[in-house]
Amino acid sequence: MRRPVTFAFITLAIIFGMSLGACTKKNSLDYGLKVEETLRINLQEEPPSLDWNKAVDTTSALVTLNLMDGLVDYDLKDPEGALKPALAESWESSNNSQTWTFTLRKDVKWTDGKAFTPQQVIDGWQRLLNPGTASQYAYFLFSVKNAQKYNSGALNDFSQVGVSVNDQGQLVVQLEKPQSYFPYLLTHHSTYPIRLDLVKKFGDRWTEPENIQTLGAYKLKIWDHDKAMVLERNDGYYGEKAKIKYVYGYMINEYSTAMGMFDSGKLDFQQSVPANELSVLKGKPTFRQAPVLGTYYYGFNTKRAPFNDVRVRKAFVYAVDRSQITKIVGGDVTPLSAWIPKGMFGYEEGVGLQYDVEKAKKLLKDAGYTDISKFPRVTIGFNSNEDHQRIAENFQAQIKKNLGISLEIQSEEWKVYLSHLQTDTPSIYRLGWLADYPDPDNFMNLMTSYSENNHTGWKNKKYDQLIEKGASIADKEQRRHIYEQAQRLLTEEDAPVDPLYSMVSHFLVSERVKDFPVNSLARYPFKGVSLQ
Amino acid sequence: MKSFLKRGAWLPVLLFWACVVWTFLGYDLPPALLGAFLVTALLYFSFYVVENSLGWFVLRRTLEALFTIFVIASLTFLLLRTIPGGPFDEEKALPPEVKANIEAKYGLDQPLLTQYVIYMGNLAHGDLGESYKYVGRPITEIIADAFPTSIQLGVYALLVAYLLGLPLGVIAASRHGTWMDSALMMAAISGVSLPSFLVAPLFVILFSFTLGWFEPALWEGPSFYVLPMVVLGIRPAAGIARLTRASVLEVIRSDFIRTAKSKGLSERVVLFKHVFRNSLIPVLSLAGPMVAGILTGSFIIELIFAIPGLAKHMIQSVTNRDYPLVLGATLLFSVMLVVANLITDLLIAMIDPRVKFS
Repeated sequence: MRRPVTFAFITLAIIFGMSLGACTKKNSLDYGLKVEETLRINLQEEPPSLDWNKAVDTTSALVTLNLMDGLVDYDLKDPEGALKPALAESWESSNNSQTWTFTLRKDVKWTDGKAFTPQQVIDGWQRLLNPGTASQYAYFLFSVKNAQKYNSGALNDFSQVGVSVNDQGQLVVQLEKPQSYFPYLLTHHSTYPIRLDLVKKFGDRWTEPENIQTLGAYKLKIWDHDKAMVLERNDGYYGEKAKIKYVYGYMINEYSTAMGMFDSGKLDFQQSVPANELSVLKGKPTFRQAPVLGTYYYGFNTKRAPFNDVRVRKAFVYAVDRSQITKIVGGDVTPLSAWIPKGMFGYEEGVGLQYDVEKAKKLLKDAGYTDISKFPRVTIGFNSNEDHQRIAENFQAQIKKNLGISLEIQSEEWKVYLSHLQTDTPSIYRLGWLADYPDPDNFMNLMTSYSENNHTGWKNKKYDQLIEKGASIADKEQRRHIYEQAQRLLTEEDAPVDPLYSMVSHFLVSERVKDFPVNSLARYPFKGVSLQ
Repeated sequence: MKSFLKRGAWLPVLLFWACVVWTFLGYDLPPALLGAFLVTALLYFSFYVVENSLGWFVLRRTLEALFTIFVIASLTFLLLRTIPGGPFDEEKALPPEVKANIEAKYGLDQPLLTQYVIYMGNLAHGDLGESYKYVGRPITEIIADAFPTSIQLGVYALLVAYLLGLPLGVIAASRHGTWMDSALMMAAISGVSLPSFLVAPLFVILFSFTLGWFEPALWEGPSFYVLPMVVLGIRPAAGIARLTRASVLEVIRSDFIRTAKSKGLSERVVLFKHVFRNSLIPVLSLAGPMVAGILTGSFIIELIFAIPGLAKHMIQSVTNRDYPLVLGATLLFSVMLVVANLITDLLIAMIDPRVKFS
């Protein structure tokens, strides 16, 4: 009877002894960083990928932006989003903006001391465009000569793609056709230089902290997957060194949880604030907002009745007062009747159809709908979300009140909605567009007849021609004029879309943070930020 | 042998508690301790199985489990592909050549049957593939990173549930019909009815922001563990309390208790030695379904308390249509459920001699 018990206790004692020897306190997530030299931000989620050729989301982009530099960078102080040198000292175009030559810095070193070379830029582009990489952002460089062919597999020889290094060590880019804004594309992380030696050596694991090498203002110190990320100042940075030593990224998805931490002083930066919190937060010293280069719009399915008739489309646009919708959304979003959002070159306040119920009623009558009860069944489709729901309900109510037509509203889960947009577009659908780069072409291109993002079914040759012309011209005033014409065609004459408002971003920054970047691109480089 | 079985049960139980206390204090679980627990528990179960000639039973159950998991994997695989919307449908539509490259890379351009055969083949080798969203990260690695945290949370919550539910149920039953009974059952009903997305913020406001006793979020040590485990455990605890009470009341009225009482045994001895042990059986059989409840319930808790566990992936991967991750997480949860049910059955057999396996 007694022996097993004794045996058990001896075993236990031995195991406990062994365990005590190997006893380590679990790593606490503060990693011993001092609060006064650490900027604590909320990344909100695990960054899906730090492989900048492959990353597609804003969280990864935020981290990458602080780890890396592109050939050029935005001058965030410039209201129209001009460019400033980064890895490229200077650049110039020739051949009517069809050839671009970049002179690269020679004093740039990666975090392991290796020199930055033009070949690394070419390596990055080749990897981005390689079909085997399967990068979603490959199309960013489709304007480069033969790039699209190479990506589709029709061309296997990368040397025929229009990027090379000349005798002076400059990077020369040949484009398919003139593109006045080409350098803007190089601010995007997908076009950053790549260290192929690391990719080859470590495979997909090259982005782990022990393997990755970068050349930006910060370097990756810790990446505790799904828990936290720590960036440390890169003292070998070629530009002005970062002021704060560490950036600590939490991955807290739930807003109220993050808010609790922010209020108790454990967080310095929280991006994105839900719309229904805005009224509470407004007026607090920690609250910041900035217009974002983004458009929120309704599109009409012009392939089906009743919206195959331009008069009905225009009647609907006329019948809705946008200021009611912006009031619902709150947070100072601006009503938008034209297509290019506020804050971007090409924004025209006067363009587009303005609220006018009488005109709406007349147009509807002209279209033959004298008896409203005969109006076809029309559905507004949107993805399930409280804000979209409230906007759709307001739109529905305004149409009912002003035109007497009852609309149905239908919300669907995001991916289901996206697939329905492709296969069975609702009569009225909701979408938004956020700028990839601050050039009007990024918005205007959306509604061309060949754009995958044009779900309206509307095609207009004249519009296509205007957009192609606009992209090729360097003269600002000429471009402005072309985009005004195109916007009038899109939002006044044919009206396949009903722009509703121009977006605004809201975020919280604690009071000890100074010089936090506030800009319309929602880019947050931390190198200029300091702590009090 | 018999005596070893009887006495030896304490060893894995003690080791289990050691593991719990160890991790709860915020230390990394030493592999030696965890290993010792697993080995002794397995040994003990094997001894038990052999001793009671339950080999065939366990083998049959294991085969059944494998079949169940195969069916689950197949159904999940098919259902995922029938719901509209693919993993790479984004707000900004992709040019056709880019989309083609992506589909080729992940084999999504293959016929469904081929994809299925490839997936099942890899699964048989323990290869769950790579995540679509977390580019290049193997599913096994994501699970290995997140799962221990989920287990930790789940075990704590289960302990809270039993340590809170059992005594309360017994107390309520022994004071049957008094105000205390009513009050406890009232509390239990509220516990079952209140959703955790309401209880969690209330507890955070009260215990964290107002009283300052515990941390409101994250998963770094004892003061971080308390709120999530209590919130997660409180619902099953209420269920257990109600079931225990009912079960104790039933046992108290049975003949053998009357016999025990008439033998002159004290009230306490009767209650704890005879009544409690016998009324434990239905309560214990609840453990399997309860593990399921805790697993699914932990999603909200992990989200609200920003705990880096697996339940979060389980839901978000569906939203992202991250097929490999959905499958990986689903399979893991199924295995957990099957194992929990098997263990529950064996435990019941140990306690209740009336249960016969055939």
